[in-house]
Amino acid sequence: MTSRPTPRPVSRRGLLTGGALTAGALAGAAAVAAVRTGEPSAGPGGAIPVAAVGSAVEPFHGQRQAGVATAPQAHAAFVAFNLRPGTDRAGVGRMLRLLSDDAARLTQGRPALADTEPELGLLPARLTVTFGFGPGLYAAAGLDDRRPPSVADLPAFRIDRLQPRWSGGDLLLQICADDPVTVAHAQRVLIKDSRPFVTVRWVQQGFRRAAGAEPGRTQRNLFGQLDGTANPTPGGPLETAVWVPEGPPWLRDSTTLVVRRISMNLETWDLLGRTERELAVGRRLDTGAPLTGAAEHDQPDFAATDPDGLTVIPDFSHLTRAHVTDDRQKILRRPYSYDGTPTAEGHADSGLIFTSYQADITRQFLPIQQRLAEQDLLNEWTSPIGSAVFAIPPGCPEGGWIGQQLLG
Amino acid sequence: MPTRLRRPNAAAIVATLLAALAVLLAPASPAAAHNALRAATPAQDARLATPPTQITLEFLQNLSPTFTTIVLTDASQRKIPTGEPVVAGAAGMVTINQPLANGSYTVAYRVVSADGHPVQGSYSFTVADPTASTAPDEPASDASDASSHRSDGPRPMLLAAGGIAVVAVIAAGAVVARRRRSVS
Amino acid sequence: MPRTTVSGASRRPAILLAAAAAALLAVGVAGCGSSDQPSTESSPTASASAATEVLGVRDPWVKAADHGMSAAFATLVNDGDTDVTVTAVATDVSPMELHGMSMKDGKMVMQPKEGGMVVKAKSTYVLEPGGDHLMMLDLKQPVQAGDELTFTLTFADGRTQTFTAVAKPFTGAQEDYEPGHGDSHGHDQPTPHESTSSAA
Repeated sequence: MTSRPTPRPVSRRGLLTGGALTAGALAGAAAVAAVRTGEPSAGPGGAIPVAAVGSAVEPFHGQRQAGVATAPQAHAAFVAFNLRPGTDRAGVGRMLRLLSDDAARLTQGRPALADTEPELGLLPARLTVTFGFGPGLYAAAGLDDRRPPSVADLPAFRIDRLQPRWSGGDLLLQICADDPVTVAHAQRVLIKDSRPFVTVRWVQQGFRRAAGAEPGRTQRNLFGQLDGTANPTPGGPLETAVWVPEGPPWLRDSTTLVVRRISMNLETWDLLGRTERELAVGRRLDTGAPLTGAAEHDQPDFAATDPDGLTVIPDFSHLTRAHVTDDRQKILRRPYSYDGTPTAEGHADSGLIFTSYQADITRQFLPIQQRLAEQDLLNEWTSPIGSAVFAIPPGCPEGGWIGQQLLG
Repeated sequence: MPTRLRRPNAAAIVATLLAALAVLLAPASPAAAHNALRAATPAQDARLATPPTQITLEFLQNLSPTFTTIVLTDASQRKIPTGEPVVAGAAGMVTINQPLANGSYTVAYRVVSADGHPVQGSYSFTVADPTASTAPDEPASDASDASSHRSDGPRPMLLAAGGIAVVAVIAAGAVVARRRRSVS
Repeated sequence: MPRTTVSGASRRPAILLAAAAAALLAVGVAGCGSSDQPSTESSPTASASAATEVLGVRDPWVKAADHGMSAAFATLVNDGDTDVTVTAVATDVSPMELHGMSMKDGKMVMQPKEGGMVVKAKSTYVLEPGGDHLMMLDLKQPVQAGDELTFTLTFADGRTQTFTAVAKPFTGAQEDYEPGHGDSHGHDQPTPHESTSSAA
């Protein structure tokens, strides 16, 4: 492509008619050209025309791993593994080199080496593969002294109903893309190449709104709530909250990840009236505005009282209990909904794959989780049924591999 | 000589205002099967000759201490210091940590039902100690008894309703006082 | 609500660009596994001796195996004006032969390639499971997933070239590579495998 045409906004009606697909291709070509030259991808604020969703690319190589600050894609698979006994430091290194090569190829829209379904590797759809190291990986490699101290089993919380089948893991692959076939193929390739070294411990698959369906909008969870309003904004606040700024090479530009499977009791949630739901959360359901405000991003006023003297936002509301003002204490949430098979009685098996990125789990995540466990009315309708923590190591350059700073 | 509130057709006014009062005191939550206020001390609409030192609320269901809030405000919506709620079964109690001057007060509560549903409501009572002076901060007060009424002004609906409730209490009280005087 | 339509005047260049994009994508898809790869980025594990690179070796890999037979694959690229013939290949861990499918007694069988592998001028030659490959006849030690093996190609004119290939799991970690079976798990043809030499 020689000249880069000006992207043209595509109307919804236009998308549905054939005529606008050409306009979509025009803007799509521009979007693809933009990403391939290394510019940031169209985030949630930019409408990605349908034609470009499949070809859009997120860079794999870099100082930091992709898939953390990346605008969340529509589909995700979180795959946790147990190291096989006998997988030592050298084995972990061989595995990570293989998996990094698979990720480097597939994220750029190229099939993996020895890919038995190469055609499935051609639509990258903003694929990211993010590697997480559990405490067991450091131990198996004999490198426990290099494990970030806050990457350790969380203390037990009163509200926990943790099941081993959704908890723990020595290695995590977070596979996200705007296309579910892309995710499925990447997951298959990575699992096949990992089999000599690990066994699959659990897989949590989740979804958000389809790419381009609601550009620029905070996503909703299956309670219908806007979920993620108070995330640290990209730029300074996100930098401070998420990335480890300095330290030895295996820590600098790393972060940490907490993955908790939150079961939502939709049956008892249904018994609540709309006002009661809003009191439990502290926000309006329609706009996401705090009960003291008018717009989603209005700052909540926790001291404001109604004429009777009660705080407008209940002190037991999720908003009040989870609130953090200091950017250094914030966490970056990047959740996905899950929707399992309903029972014969039609009772839902739905919830949230809650993921939180922060520079230090102990300093940032634990205080929030403890406040919520002590008091948060939303606990009536949610239950953590799985929990796992991982270090997210730094990125790798071209020709390199994830974990090279730790194990190389 | 106490000034009298001019009340043309007092009975009709009181009836209307008490109806408004009933609407005001309905719980904020529309759900019927939830925790509701069963009894209160001081009782709603009570007119007390001595200031209370605590508020006890009894509900239909047991309370959770973590989710029980009881708040006391005066006629100017200023919060009166109260202790942390003490919960025993279905009853919640707060001590009133400041002597109450004469005037009307609003008790507001926010509790959670057994199934987790938040419930909130409020009611008013009046302190009318014949030996005490009027609350010094009551607006436009140049009288020493509870028959002085609130000043007007644009106010949100709830507050106006509260004002109506206070007037209703005062009107009812004045009716009673009038009857007493005529009897004695 | 007012309609939003693409104006006729701007439709034409959009169509041309869309056609171009579609053509590029079609080439990209068709190119997978054949001569033209849309990407010019080199594989992280491909390497050729800098001094005397006779052929480009793209996306090399070798099947992981604990014992017995294995094979290496790659795409060989001849950018030159004359044909290049690979006559032999060697590695430390196993005797090797150049193998391919050909007709014998009316059947397609895997056997050593008579005359070596001829990579024509300005073209590529794909070595892949089920097709021509670099046969490893008898592993002296396991080839573990993630290992990097070095191979040396010998050409008709006597020149040699080394390259490195990473070992990938291809048949599944638990399965042994069975002697007598021609090829990897997942291929349809049950090809009897014949070897006429155990040349190193």
